[in-house]
Amino acid sequence: MTGPGTRLRVLASALATPHDTADAPVLTGFIESEFNPLVHRAAWQCLTGRALDGARTAVVLASLFGDTTTADLASRQLVAGRVHNAILFMQATANAILGHISTQFALTGPLLALSTPDPVEELVATAELLLDDGEIDHVLLVGAELAAGERTIAASAELGVTPPAEDLAVAHLVTRDSGQPETGPPHTEVPATASGEGLRRLLDPAEVNGRAHPARPFPGAHR
Amino acid sequence: MRAAMNREVVVTGFAVRTGFGEGAEATRHGVFGGRSALAPVTRFDTAPFRASVAATDGTPGPGSLRDALSKCAGDAVAAAGHPAGEDTAVLVGTAGDFTGVTGFWRRAEHTSGSTAGDTVAARQADLVAEHVGARGPRLAFTNACVASAVAIIHACRLIATGRLDSAVCAGGYLVEEENFAKFDSGMAFSRDGVVRPFSAGRSGLLLGDGAAAIVLEAGDTARRRGARPLAAVIGWGMAADAHHVARPHPQARGLASAAGQALRRAGDPDGRWVDYVNAHGTATKTNDPAETAGLRTVFGSRADAVPVSSTKGATGHLLEAAGAVEFVITMMAMLDGVLPPTAGYTAPDPDCDLDVVPNQPRRADVWRALTVNAAFGGANTALLLERR
Repeated sequence: MTGPGTRLRVLASALATPHDTADAPVLTGFIESEFNPLVHRAAWQCLTGRALDGARTAVVLASLFGDTTTADLASRQLVAGRVHNAILFMQATANAILGHISTQFALTGPLLALSTPDPVEELVATAELLLDDGEIDHVLLVGAELAAGERTIAASAELGVTPPAEDLAVAHLVTRDSGQPETGPPHTEVPATASGEGLRRLLDPAEVNGRAHPARPFPGAHR
Repeated sequence: MRAAMNREVVVTGFAVRTGFGEGAEATRHGVFGGRSALAPVTRFDTAPFRASVAATDGTPGPGSLRDALSKCAGDAVAAAGHPAGEDTAVLVGTAGDFTGVTGFWRRAEHTSGSTAGDTVAARQADLVAEHVGARGPRLAFTNACVASAVAIIHACRLIATGRLDSAVCAGGYLVEEENFAKFDSGMAFSRDGVVRPFSAGRSGLLLGDGAAAIVLEAGDTARRRGARPLAAVIGWGMAADAHHVARPHPQARGLASAAGQALRRAGDPDGRWVDYVNAHGTATKTNDPAETAGLRTVFGSRADAVPVSSTKGATGHLLEAAGAVEFVITMMAMLDGVLPPTAGYTAPDPDCDLDVVPNQPRRADVWRALTVNAAFGGANTALLLERR
């Protein structure tokens, strides 16, 4: 979404994979799926040590497919007749991990969860839009996908997108680019080692500093 | 440089579907009549579950979410005079169509009516955009019970800052097995098949079918093309509780903060000019007293004088559709001059001691109205409407 608004400055960046060695606390209460731990670890790396005004900080999570591991596990259990699993109920929505992060870091600004095939464009555009509001100063942007399983592969084929190749979360803490020198901990570069079509460009902070473009239709057939 | 956020945002068309059926008249008859659409579920076998009731429209299957959303969006755009075009955004609150997930794992996609692609939330926004011919940005918001309210707020921001002239906002949820099982597992459902918001004896929520769409436009461009605004969105707010993953803050800190933002934006920080509040009112043990406390924070000494109702006793909880459907109900209250009652109310609860308009509709001249929603994870929204 293009607009007349704010350009962004990236204050911190993080990449989380199941194999990284980031020194983040263990996320308790979330099971079976890598989605929530990865989102949490990427967020934790960006937020720890930052003196933010929690009321003026928003969190935006973008994922085309969301937590497919939890959704598919719950569904397969349902189909098999095992219908009771309160923990899967708790973690079934992205709001759960957003709520956990907001509680851990005392962030009381807006929490948004998006589904989009263009995470870079939409996260950047949403950050710019939120920062145009005089009540927001910082936005934590997180993009996350899980390696495609059977259903995601079928959905990807239908939508004409490349299925995610690995479990991955990328985060950037951004603010308005005021032209003033940065304060606080130094910006952390993200190692550009991961793959995954939708999120690859999100690994580059320069992309986040660039302008946003309107979300495009899926390349797949419209029926 | 920040963009000014001061363009007027108006509503020029809407459409709605609930368990009472399609269209504003069905909602008027049911929700504004103090009725309940809750009934035994027949579209899937409820034997494995503790609960067996939901506010469905009685059809044997939920139908596809894509059809429900597209129908509402198409009707709203037609009512608005077909403003959708190159720069019209489509912003949809949805978690995707879960019947496609169940169908996939039952190896029965052909019978569920929804495909694997339909399970992707962004795909639903894409389909709605194609249906109404909107070529601007399209996005799905997956924030559970505030999803479609977040979509509306996002559209307000886009229009108010001059990024766009128009947006079609929608939200949809149709009762199906996946979420029924999850809420049943979470012990969230009412034990007696009735939803009693703000009432003594309430024991939880029940799900309901819901879909709604609204057309938002910049006031200047809407009037230039001859459209008649129905209402203006003069304030909005979003805030988090930062309290607990599953439980609301006991004083509804985030909800009060979101409402405060909306009121400040409208230049009425104390809510002196608010004539009605459509509450989230889920009828859970924890939500309703917290929401009561939060609204008392917002309105202070005037809290007892502001009518507050929850329409979930009539419609059930509409999950991702709640924000959009309740936005429409709030607007209908303004247009009709009737407050929708809190259906299912039986007796006062001292911890929920607002004027909750129990069971019977009430005539009222509503100039400004607030609609609030809250979600899992402590996400909260508020939208303030003004009659035009």
